[in-house]
Amino acid sequence: MDITAAIDEPAADRLLDAVVGSLPVQTASGTGSLGPFSASYSASAALTNGNVDLIAPSTVRIAGFRVDWTVGFSFSLDISSIIPDFCFPQVCVNIPCVGRVCTPAPCINWPTRTITVPTIGDFLNVTADFGLSAARVGPDWEIDVTIQGVPNLQFGAASALILAAIAAAATPILLAIPFLGPFLAIGVAALLATIGIAGVTGLLGPIITPFVSGLSFNVYKQPANFEAIPAAGVNDPAVFISIDDVQAQIQSTDEDELVVTVDVS
Amino acid sequence: MPTRPLGGAGQRRVPRVAPWSKQVQGKANDVSLTGSEDVFVALHEDGLNDLLSRFFTTRARYLNYGSSAFVASTTAAATRIDVISFPGIPGGIHWFVRLEIPRVDVHPQSMGLPPELDPLGVQRVSLVTKVSLCVDCGERERQPDNPRDDKPDDRTHDHPDRPAGKLDPVCFEIEVFIIARAERTTLNGKPAVRLIVERIELVDFEPDPFESVLECILLKIIRAAIAQAVLPLDAISAGTFTLTPNVGPNAQDDQLQLAGALTV
Repeated sequence: MDITAAIDEPAADRLLDAVVGSLPVQTASGTGSLGPFSASYSASAALTNGNVDLIAPSTVRIAGFRVDWTVGFSFSLDISSIIPDFCFPQVCVNIPCVGRVCTPAPCINWPTRTITVPTIGDFLNVTADFGLSAARVGPDWEIDVTIQGVPNLQFGAASALILAAIAAAATPILLAIPFLGPFLAIGVAALLATIGIAGVTGLLGPIITPFVSGLSFNVYKQPANFEAIPAAGVNDPAVFISIDDVQAQIQSTDEDELVVTVDVS
Repeated sequence: MPTRPLGGAGQRRVPRVAPWSKQVQGKANDVSLTGSEDVFVALHEDGLNDLLSRFFTTRARYLNYGSSAFVASTTAAATRIDVISFPGIPGGIHWFVRLEIPRVDVHPQSMGLPPELDPLGVQRVSLVTKVSLCVDCGERERQPDNPRDDKPDDRTHDHPDRPAGKLDPVCFEIEVFIIARAERTTLNGKPAVRLIVERIELVDFEPDPFESVLECILLKIIRAAIAQAVLPLDAISAGTFTLTPNVGPNAQDDQLQLAGALTV
């Protein structure tokens, strides 16, 4: 190889700090399942690098990789699905000279309301292994650090938080519905029981996991027709060299290093 | 008179040898490349030759120099230089110097050198090139000090790219062996590396006093030409990692090696 370049583990940590820190906040929106309900959501995630551990021959392990996420969602709640509809009993009275008179027998059909849960945020600490790959991509040579597999994300605390937020969002909406007041506590409890921790996790998982599962950081990108020396006037045009091959690997000696080798011509 | 290599390498500072001095790419060992530094960058002599070839091909003016009769104006292809002025010679003596793209060998030695330069010293780089030196003799038939009355067709070493008109260059070409060291410098405020020529040697050139004079002239010319090839660290690293060098450039293990702090 014509060129050998290496950085040690602390330097790789700082390099990835810069790379990850430069990533824009990722956003996503769509619909997902919140227990038996269909929820429309919008979410965002900001990433912060963790501690880098270089493992030969080609693994970059990042421990404590932080994902700060937010999610807000709304869902349509058919209250009848949690509190049964009912009818008031009919009362009939025999009135002299009038005859039998009955009161109406109104039935309560609970309406459907939209529950909007305001944006809630939390963070995840993820430990994941990333692989190294060097390849020619169009006119460029690139080295990417790409996550291997899908890490298991734990949303336990966040799920409880979101259930509480659902209750808080649903309460004033249910209170405004005539005749439901006496059943408010039952209604909220039934709603939370219907969704459950599993329902919240079932919503968060598919929303947040893609922010992590497809993670790939570009740590090197240079054109194959590489400008080695910039132009310095009309008589000193830029000097280009051809980058013919790029390889990246982790070498372990008395310390672990990310080593990049480059062939030029 | 014995030939005396010019320059004197012993007066030069030898760069500090890094702990990774024995590290050679592809060799298994227990010593890291970076040592106590963040970043290590090494340019193998093959890559250095590629880089210098591209540099001197793109900016051939650092190899081709001529007075106005040879080079009308400075371009990327050639640099115009002054004529050699001399009283009684109207317009002066026009001349042209052309260097071939040098071939580089970084310590340890793998390229043959003349005895005066052999063996290649530690932390040193050897180069070999050919130099063509041309002088315009277009007016000499009319001069009284031309007793042989040479005709242009009598000369066998004429400049191959003889321009039209009265220009009548007489040239010779000689192989030159060079010893240089790598030196850290800057280019546009950024760290860079260049080669500083220390000694040169002409082979089988007689008489010795003339060899010494010619070596003196060519040392100055070659030193100036080679020093123009300033290679930014981005070129040496192919843009992999940006470093602020603390160690090097060390010429060892067939590589120019640098190490320093990572710049992000």
